[in-house]
Amino acid sequence: MALIHVPRPRNAMDPDRPVNALLKAQMLHLHDAESKLPVRHHTDIYINAIKTEGEAANYIRQVTEAIHAAHAAAAAKRARPAAKRAKRAKKKAKTKLGRNA
Amino acid sequence: MPPGLDNLKHIVVLMMENRSFDHMLGSLTAVNPQIDGITAALSNPDTTGAAVQPQPLAEFQGQLDPDPDHHFPAVDLQIFGGNTGAGRAANMQGFVKSYFNQQQDVGHSQKIMYYFAQNQLPVLTTLALEFAVFNRWFASIPGPTICNRAFAHYGTSFGRVDMDLLYVNEPFQSIYSRLINANPKHTAKLYYYDTTSSTMEITNLLQNQPELFGSYQQFLSDCSSGNLPDYSFVEPNYSDHDSDAGEEVASDQHPDHNIQAGELFIASVYNAIKSSPLWPNTALLVVYDEHGGIYDHVVPPACTPDQFTASANDTGTGMPFAFDRLGVRVPAILISPWIPKGTVVNRVFDHASIPGTITKFFLGAYAPRSPRESSADVFIEPNSGAVDPTRNLLSLNAVRTDCPDFDV
Repeated sequence: MALIHVPRPRNAMDPDRPVNALLKAQMLHLHDAESKLPVRHHTDIYINAIKTEGEAANYIRQVTEAIHAAHAAAAAKRARPAAKRAKRAKKKAKTKLGRNA
Repeated sequence: MPPGLDNLKHIVVLMMENRSFDHMLGSLTAVNPQIDGITAALSNPDTTGAAVQPQPLAEFQGQLDPDPDHHFPAVDLQIFGGNTGAGRAANMQGFVKSYFNQQQDVGHSQKIMYYFAQNQLPVLTTLALEFAVFNRWFASIPGPTICNRAFAHYGTSFGRVDMDLLYVNEPFQSIYSRLINANPKHTAKLYYYDTTSSTMEITNLLQNQPELFGSYQQFLSDCSSGNLPDYSFVEPNYSDHDSDAGEEVASDQHPDHNIQAGELFIASVYNAIKSSPLWPNTALLVVYDEHGGIYDHVVPPACTPDQFTASANDTGTGMPFAFDRLGVRVPAILISPWIPKGTVVNRVFDHASIPGTITKFFLGAYAPRSPRESSADVFIEPNSGAVDPTRNLLSLNAVRTDCPDFDV
């Protein structure tokens, strides 16, 4: 079958387009998510002042990255005691070996 | 077991935004009369009482501004033509009236009847003609995006008919949680375009499962390396924004976003799978979340009620809603090299069919599913037990070698 040509859009980019209802809803959902994050992960963006798609996109990016960062921080914290435990166990085993020798 | 089902290991769903079947694929009736699209008999009255016929005058951008109303009360008007009386019957006669309500402009309101000519949408129309197009795939609810997308993830919207953030009511888990918690464990991923576009599925993002999410770049990489999960859900780009790669134009096709950008995105997803080593083992469903207030002529059918009811206050129509009828028809196409060219499916589906199909295919019997999902039809037959050949869409005995390619 022949390769099918797909026309590219021209002059479609408009980050100044007013925010549509879908993006508004997405911002509200993320605002709710942001309120549950540790304070250090909060943005200082006032969402009621967001009027354009570009502004909405910036807010959505910041909160999405913050959610991932908060999960990553929590995972790192969970992993730390485990590493400490492993180190302690290793040290204990070494001491025991020394005593038995 | 038919070889198409035997070889199927990965299912990918791409959900686009807010376009009706007639608007996008209605032109194809002229090519294949089995496809239930636009005919000369169709019309809607405008507010002067004149009949407005569908015309192939849809434009890629700038025409459906303001965004046509598709919240519950507006869709009720579109489907029932403004009849709110007892014993009313759906007639699909209220689309022009509904759009008129937004600008009070008769000429502008008629644009809701416009549809795309076949040659304007080379990607979507080619895929529809080359693989399996669904004549009866409906939105799950006669309402907006979030509650409809919820049906694709959970098989229910937990009683919501609006855009509010929803919280999962046990025992109905998302299809992703079901798969990754199964024994044996399955894999699932929701790929959003990038962090700036993010996802419409915040509920899952809030839970402790960030590992379920990936970017579109990761999807492309997972395709080329042959590492797609068992189930993938792909989201388009919802906004015009700048990124490290340059300007990113919204590809969701939500009015008033550019239709051609969405065409490119659909082709990109298709090409990524087709050029991957997983092409013979993958099925791709391209589907739209709801009709976006745009005209379609098929009356949505009744369905099994969900176990939730939206109150008269929640629906905004003065009438409660028991989730006992479907929303407006949307484009849906199933793609696989095991599907015969020109397949047209007439069975009824809605988005609850997505978790329904994935669950039955990968997990088999799984009890805690919503009444809507449990009664929804499946678009891929379970790969266990006897398969009814009249229902199996992946029915060829050998992989096709004549599938199209797009220059993206």
